Amino acid sequence: MELYRKSAYELSQMMKNGEVSSVEITKSVFDRIKAVEPKIDAYVTLDEENALKAAQEIDNKRSAGEELPELAGIPIGIKDNISTKGLRTTCSSKMLENYVPPFNATVMNKVYENGMVVTGKLNMDEFAMGSSTENSYFKPTRNPNDTDRIPGGSSGGSAAAVAACEAIVSLGSDTGGSIRQPASYCGVVGLKPTYGSVSRFGLVAFASSLDQIGPLGRTVRDVAMLQSVINGHDRMDATSAYRTYSDLSAGLESGVSGLKIGLPKEYFGKGIDDEVKSGILNAVKALEAKGAVVKEISLPSTDYALSSYYIISSAEASSNLARYDGVRYGFRAEDYDGLIDMYEKTRSEGFGDEVKRRIMLGTFVLSSGFYDAYYKKAKLLQRRISAEFSQAFSDVDVIATPTVPTTAFRIGENTDDPLKMYATDICTVTVNIAGLPAISVPCGKDSKNLPIGLQLIGEKFTEQKLLNTAYTYEQLVGGFSMPEI
Amino acid sequence: MVRGYEVVIGLETHAELNTDSKIYCDCKNQFGLEVNSQVCPICMGMPGTLPTLNEKVVDYAIKMGHALNCHINRVCKQDRKNYFYPDLPKAYQISQAEVPLCQNGYVDILVDGEERRIGITRIHIEEDAGKLLHSDKFHGCSLVDLNRCGVPLIEIVSEPDMRSSAEAKAYLETLKSILQYLDICDCKMEQGSIRCDVNVSVHKPGEPFGTRSEMKNVNSFSAAVRGIDFEINRQIDILENGGTIEQETRRWDDAKGESVSMRSKEDSQDYRYFPEPDLLTIVVEQERVDKLKEDIPELPNAKLLRYVKEFGLAQKDAAFIAESVELATLFDSCMAKGRFPAKSYTTWILGDFIKYLNDNSKTVSDTKLNADNLTELVELIENKTISNAGGKKIFAVILEQEKSVKELVDELGLAQVSDASALEAIADKVLAENEKSIHDYKNGKTNALGYLVGQCMKASRGKANPGMMKEIVLNKLNNM
Amino acid sequence: MNIDIKHIAKLARLHIEDDQLEKFESEMQNIVNMVENLPDIKDELTLDEKNPMILRKDKAVTDKYTRQELMANAPQVKAGCLVVPKTVE
Repeated sequence: MELYRKSAYELSQMMKNGEVSSVEITKSVFDRIKAVEPKIDAYVTLDEENALKAAQEIDNKRSAGEELPELAGIPIGIKDNISTKGLRTTCSSKMLENYVPPFNATVMNKVYENGMVVTGKLNMDEFAMGSSTENSYFKPTRNPNDTDRIPGGSSGGSAAAVAACEAIVSLGSDTGGSIRQPASYCGVVGLKPTYGSVSRFGLVAFASSLDQIGPLGRTVRDVAMLQSVINGHDRMDATSAYRTYSDLSAGLESGVSGLKIGLPKEYFGKGIDDEVKSGILNAVKALEAKGAVVKEISLPSTDYALSSYYIISSAEASSNLARYDGVRYGFRAEDYDGLIDMYEKTRSEGFGDEVKRRIMLGTFVLSSGFYDAYYKKAKLLQRRISAEFSQAFSDVDVIATPTVPTTAFRIGENTDDPLKMYATDICTVTVNIAGLPAISVPCGKDSKNLPIGLQLIGEKFTEQKLLNTAYTYEQLVGGFSMPEI
Repeated sequence: MVRGYEVVIGLETHAELNTDSKIYCDCKNQFGLEVNSQVCPICMGMPGTLPTLNEKVVDYAIKMGHALNCHINRVCKQDRKNYFYPDLPKAYQISQAEVPLCQNGYVDILVDGEERRIGITRIHIEEDAGKLLHSDKFHGCSLVDLNRCGVPLIEIVSEPDMRSSAEAKAYLETLKSILQYLDICDCKMEQGSIRCDVNVSVHKPGEPFGTRSEMKNVNSFSAAVRGIDFEINRQIDILENGGTIEQETRRWDDAKGESVSMRSKEDSQDYRYFPEPDLLTIVVEQERVDKLKEDIPELPNAKLLRYVKEFGLAQKDAAFIAESVELATLFDSCMAKGRFPAKSYTTWILGDFIKYLNDNSKTVSDTKLNADNLTELVELIENKTISNAGGKKIFAVILEQEKSVKELVDELGLAQVSDASALEAIADKVLAENEKSIHDYKNGKTNALGYLVGQCMKASRGKANPGMMKEIVLNKLNNM
Repeated sequence: MNIDIKHIAKLARLHIEDDQLEKFESEMQNIVNMVENLPDIKDELTLDEKNPMILRKDKAVTDKYTRQELMANAPQVKAGCLVVPKTVE
């Protein structure tokens, strides 16, 4: 029995019924990792020993009759920018190659409290900057649907591991599309939660006002279950929303009858691949057939979102990444002459090109004389984009768009052209700019047999509505299909 | 005016707040502990950590804002000030840029008996940095202790309203006494709990303000005076020699008594301020702002005026008492008894008491003196139970021991003899033994009276009421 | 719009090799050009009063971590302190 292929929900039920143990599941996942990881390279660090120990503990508790949380005993992979106490957290950077956090991220405390089994740390673009996982210091991760292609990024490892069944579910982080875009490329489900619904404490910051941790899985239900584990107010994160959340997996079957779906025309214009476009429109039609009402809407400032995004995220990144100076932790250059030389060599040798490029851009837009023309302008546009979304949501319940304009490209195809690489984020950044929740759910494949992703965007804290819609669609088309590796 | 130039001084004063925990994490806010023992992943700036703002810091800053007559921006934000230095773990300081918590205030100071009003531009909250340790023994290295990282600070920025180093000193001393009154800062200069940066410029009367220099590393009020005086003369020397003043940042070296250039305007740092994205807007309810205002005690400048007007104290004496929370508290509770005039108390407080505190390097709370025992002592002197000299003996004891003043009178045998018949008996005895002096007195040598009274006091072993004694002796002489 | 790459690199404490300067400059220029197409908005940023921050109670917690744990990742430690090249200030 290939346990690793099953969903978290199925495995949870099987454990409850005593059909299988967490140790068996965990072993199955590690067997799978041993079989396919050489082709995929999803993991930066594997932690089999502790995973089996944790699985055994859960099994012991279960046989002792203890009542356990839904996801207890389920193997989960963690993006390598989420701090794990005692387990190195590299952000796929030379800078943090040997950094071992002395504390857990708040989400990790939740993952452990829920008895989940951590398989290891997943590859990513360095410091989450990138759209292909080619910016990892260690290695590029490959798309399980076609190992010559990128898995997307920055949470490429998180999406690829789930798609290749090297983890049952995973955690990623999304600053401009970094969960949804790789989920789309790899053919899995990825949720970018509302800003403030999941604690950022322990998430190594890229752009603080946009970053959000979220779940990836092979089914909508798995994603709903994991999101219910990780969300919640956290006193350690001042930007965390003060509210309570109900169990998101409880009401998935409520259907889409009467649901108003908006199709923003700006997301279906130039640059959108025809096959992707028809995939999305077919998906929307399927929902319409189930009772949803579809209408065209307009979000006119969409064109400005990408620029605003790069200014705001780079500005924050230039400040957030200034702490990597070789003093308290992380890489320090070997030969230097004095303090400033130590700083410059450490940072120049420790960071990759994309990280340096964004630090430079961020430093520039905040520098004296340019702040108003760049940073302030971007923040004003951010406000306008948010207002347009609010306006749209007075009319529709969810907005449907492609997650990415195209399907996965080949490794190396876009590495020399940052702008082309940035353009892959065009449909996803607006969501982060406005702090909204959005989900990417697989909606068929193109003629190259590569997955297409449907993005559903909702108003703040309407994850339930997005998950219900995605679930309805998933039930119609069958959802995740296992790639041959 | 110095050497024909007007002087313009503005001060940026940093005060460490005496909260229990740090500003952005729950580490202990305490000075003098083992290196790197009061730190956590947050104040060490470890990846993924986030700040959470301590509510006391906001309260304390608002209190200071009220005390300095500021407008309180009850809606404000925090910003990042970016620069690299080993004592700054995140490579940015969380501070406040365009919207400070408090702004547009003033404080009245007294200089040479004259009141001066100094404008307060703003008060904002921010975090302190760590400390670098230097030694020749470190082989070309410096060591970093991060205990001070995240200690809460308020920065109080004055308008360029001061015209001499004496005014700057009076301003700093006023700020210090207000901070003490509010009990929001330990004000321990040797621990760096108050530090300031000084902006100085000079210009000829009638001309616009000169180019200013900013001087950092001024760690005591006396250093501020020395630094300002040095800087004034340095600038005048340059101008007198036909030079121009450069806008620059200088560093005061108190040991050498000189300032040295740190960086010129061209290399001035670009701090790239932007709103701190890890923190939301600070919104303080108006009721809370008002409540904090109600909680402000009477401040030293108000006390000073009241002492002069209500109690008739000399301005110098009033200022001396008002400046110290402890002295003022003692004096106020004495006066609250409403029994004796201020003079009866100030004689003791500003005399023997201050001398004792200074000689022994003690503070008021180190002693056993309080309004109750001091009032008892004053009462016994006023009703002539004891003499002033006796009072001093009792005072010396009650400073250090919790003893009843009345019991001490007996214990030390200090009760004055005011019984007329007893005094007359002494007088009769002394006069009988000093016929020559009586003769001298009768022959017009009036100082013989003093001698006779002195002999009587001696015979009473100092216990005779001196006034009555004198009267009795005089009476007897005149009737002879 | 000319970008002084060397100055920006200095602010960011990055060392950009001379042969890399041009590449950085043109890439940055492309991004800046993209930004310059943004419309002007004649408005001011305001503070979000409706979303106030919850402040932390002032209560210190001690002995959360040992110094050894916190310094374990440091490149160089001496006498309980982090070590850096000598600073002159």
